[in-house]
Amino acid sequence: MRHRQSGFGLGCTIFGILAILPLIPGPLQGPFAKHVLVMVLLFASMSQAWNLLGGYCGQVSFGHSVFFGIGAYGAGMAVVKYGLTPWPGALLGAIIASIVSLVISYPCFRLKGHYFAIATFAIVEIFNRLFMVWYWVGGALGLDYPIIEEGWRNFMWYETKTPYYYGAFALFVLVFSTARWIERHRIGYYMRAVRDGQEAAESLGVNSPQVKLTAMAISAFLAALCGAFFVQYNLRVDPPMVMSLDMSMRFVLITILGGLGTLWGPLLGAAVLIPLQEYTRAIWGGLGGGVDLIIFGLLIIVIVIRQPRGLMGFVSWVVGHRARARGRG
Amino acid sequence: MKWHWSKRVLALVVVLLFVGIAGDAAFSQEKVIKIGTLFPLTGPVALAGQRCKAAVETAVEVINNSYPDIKVPLAAQEGILGGYKIVLVHADHQGKPDIGKTEAERLFDQEGVYAIIGSYNSAVTKPASLVAERRKKLFMCGCSSSAELTKRGMKYFFRMAPTDETESQEFVTFVKWLNETKGADLKTFGVIYENTEFGKHAAEEAKKAIEAAGFQYVADVAFNPGATNLNSEVQMLKGKNPDVVFGACLGADYILWVRTMKQLAWLPKVCLNYCSGYQDPIIAQQLGPDGDYFMGTTGYSPELAELMPAVAPVEEIYKTKIDPPVPFDSDSIQEAVATFVLAQAIDKAGTLDPDKVAETLYANEWESPLSLGGKVAFAPGGQNIKAMSVVTQLKDGEYRRVFPPELANSDPIFPIPSWDKR
Amino acid sequence: MTLFLQIALDGILNGMLYAIVALGLTLIWGVMDVINFAHGEFLMIAMYVSYWLGFLMNIDPLVSWVASSVFVFLLAFVTYKLMVSHLVGKPALSALLATFGLSMFLKNLCLNRFSPNFKLLPVTVLSGKTIPVGSLILSLPQLVIAVFSLAVIFIVYRFIASTRMGWAIQATAMDKEAAELMGIDTEKIYGLVFGLGGACVGIAGGLLPTYMPVHPEVGSLFGLIAFICVAMGGFGSITGSLFASLLVGLVEAFAGFYIAPIFKYVAVFALYLVIVMLKPKGLFGW
Repeated sequence: MRHRQSGFGLGCTIFGILAILPLIPGPLQGPFAKHVLVMVLLFASMSQAWNLLGGYCGQVSFGHSVFFGIGAYGAGMAVVKYGLTPWPGALLGAIIASIVSLVISYPCFRLKGHYFAIATFAIVEIFNRLFMVWYWVGGALGLDYPIIEEGWRNFMWYETKTPYYYGAFALFVLVFSTARWIERHRIGYYMRAVRDGQEAAESLGVNSPQVKLTAMAISAFLAALCGAFFVQYNLRVDPPMVMSLDMSMRFVLITILGGLGTLWGPLLGAAVLIPLQEYTRAIWGGLGGGVDLIIFGLLIIVIVIRQPRGLMGFVSWVVGHRARARGRG
Repeated sequence: MKWHWSKRVLALVVVLLFVGIAGDAAFSQEKVIKIGTLFPLTGPVALAGQRCKAAVETAVEVINNSYPDIKVPLAAQEGILGGYKIVLVHADHQGKPDIGKTEAERLFDQEGVYAIIGSYNSAVTKPASLVAERRKKLFMCGCSSSAELTKRGMKYFFRMAPTDETESQEFVTFVKWLNETKGADLKTFGVIYENTEFGKHAAEEAKKAIEAAGFQYVADVAFNPGATNLNSEVQMLKGKNPDVVFGACLGADYILWVRTMKQLAWLPKVCLNYCSGYQDPIIAQQLGPDGDYFMGTTGYSPELAELMPAVAPVEEIYKTKIDPPVPFDSDSIQEAVATFVLAQAIDKAGTLDPDKVAETLYANEWESPLSLGGKVAFAPGGQNIKAMSVVTQLKDGEYRRVFPPELANSDPIFPIPSWDKR
Repeated sequence: MTLFLQIALDGILNGMLYAIVALGLTLIWGVMDVINFAHGEFLMIAMYVSYWLGFLMNIDPLVSWVASSVFVFLLAFVTYKLMVSHLVGKPALSALLATFGLSMFLKNLCLNRFSPNFKLLPVTVLSGKTIPVGSLILSLPQLVIAVFSLAVIFIVYRFIASTRMGWAIQATAMDKEAAELMGIDTEKIYGLVFGLGGACVGIAGGLLPTYMPVHPEVGSLFGLIAFICVAMGGFGSITGSLFASLLVGLVEAFAGFYIAPIFKYVAVFALYLVIVMLKPKGLFGW
């Protein structure tokens, strides 16, 4: 019970700090810094959506960019093709993404380990290539936003980044609250039981296919909402932008670097990896030799080798260390 | 203390990051105009991006310093606007539209650039130029070819190169000319293109132009760029056997396409290429005799130098900026033109006010010795209406001008001799 | 009919190329349970080695594949020692992510050092040569690669099946602890297998410049297709990945011609899904 209280306090503190972050004067006020913050929150949310399935339920999917993309196309189609606001498109996209995820994963969940992972690779490639030739959604040409009125109705701003930040923050609160709720709820225990041993869980009466499908549907729904945000932020969508292995890898990478199957891991991972990626590009990208990507690749290797359990592993080591020291003193 | 190698790397990167951030603040100078470049310096089209970047650097070198021997506007004087020098800030968009948009914002908001030159991929130019438009800043586009770009009614966007729409029309006109004056009897057309924003758009424009002229469009072959082989694609073309093929294949795919046609012993009667692998002088050299007899549009190649005498000395500077040294190609030279025209307009407007400069850009016809035809002028929407290109044919590693007749220096050789008769 | 045979022939030749690329991956995966995401980049590096030897010293790829193979063997061995050895036995994802980082590193290092230019050897002994067989056309460079592929697969198969070292590899693959108790230096075995996996892809990469241009992105799609072949064939099965590669080559060729070229890889990926739905452990998996 005490543990639960302290976790709640930590969550509120983090939400509180993030809520006032754009108001703090100083280096975070620059537009590029704001952009980095928006990306941190977006990718933290996205990675958390992935973490629900990959971390808590143990099903490592490289296919989440498909759901991300469906959400992006939902919002994009609503605005570009039908002249609506993005909201109904985002919602519809999220629902479709959930349905698609169920249809895909129902047969795929029979696969184990690498077979499942590679099946999700294949699904990304198939969706990418089909969207490239599906002219109703723009095909290879993609969807470009017209210049329309700014504001919350259209969820679109051209110069200021602050509303985008709060939009991303809302998404972040939604996703992380959902994750925390699931973590404490019965379904969360079932998910972890399935991850730790499907046979054992089933022998205790857990309906593992149902648990996995539930996790998948929630995860895909949230991923699609993140995708809708992404397209509203970039005002353009085409298949390689959203439905690519590269994109999927980013969600996985962030979660693993942060800490697989932990509540704050995705935030920690995004808070480290996204600024690194953005600032290395800003500083070295212009040199033109791919220096930023060379360094970024090296860093991934180093971090994975140093800390295979992710940064949360490091944090809990530090916390544990202090607790032990206190115990001695 | 013995450190694991990975710890050392980590420490090194942290130090470099700090040096990088600190180094940023260190440079400031009186009377400079910062201009951003935004090209794909990494990723699948990095080659083109790096050449474009070098072309802009070349133009800036000529503008900032005094080169009395170079017969290009602004070359003789030092700087513009009474001593202002241009300083470039480079950015890499990796061929990704989202990164392009972010980097455009960073260039304007963080680096404080006055204008951006870029960004090769039409798919990136679209969102990036929107960023400039909303900030009322200039976006100079050299060679993105999608006709859409200049149909958006933008006020601060200018594009130098001909579009895929005009190129397609030029191809069809050329084929008609062959039919009328040389009795060629070419009727059926096919298009092979990479399924990307560039290729797809070119193919759509090609289809429109072909059908408008009453020709038959028989083969529409799209492929995934970066393919491991192009056998089925070429088999498909061979099966439909069109008289004329339009190609939009970049770099490595172009090489593979030509080699696969040779392997399967098939050729169309005439083969015309959009700005693609065909125009790359290094590819022409590597393909050797296999690359001969193909045709395509060219905005510049060294063989066009006699039409554009001012290019040679500028090209010498360009060659020092790119490794291995290559001459300008149709794409990269347009980025240099974009830089020159922007500088000329600022100089003429006598102010850095973007509105005034944009007005000046529209109001005048610009001397541009680096453009084929020597002139640049803009229609509403920002398209350069003086943009021209010639149809060339590769023979013995040389791009020979074959159309239009007034610019030609040799007769087109067609049909292409079959592989075994070379 | 000729057309049908020609397409089948092209498919088989390409399938043999995929087979030799996939072979290295199968070995590493089967023995160590590690997915090497940088496999396509190893291929690219091998192509660069062969290209530079041809360009600078005029050595034909028919000879320089030896050097490519040795070079990539060493590269893979060093990769194992510096990176992968820290990750064996850790969560399976760690090695995948680390090698993903490696692939990014290698790709951009080559871009940085060799420029993004497309490099093609203009003249090699094989390039552009074809052999007419009746009304069919056989491309010589692809044929040579196919022959090499068969030979290498045979040798590796024999090596694993009937040498002492091969038995040690098999033992390590089955049960690492038990193998260690038997006195097998599993660390050495892992290093060797990773190197051997590199050497196989090195041979493929050494021969490819006879018809394929080299550039930093060349390995990406090959790597992906190799994953598909290996998983389709079944965990660590050499024969499985050979058959799967041939199947992939054929499906690619037929789908490319009879459906549309744009769908050829879609068909390949869909084929994988169909096969693992029917046999969740791949064609030859157990």
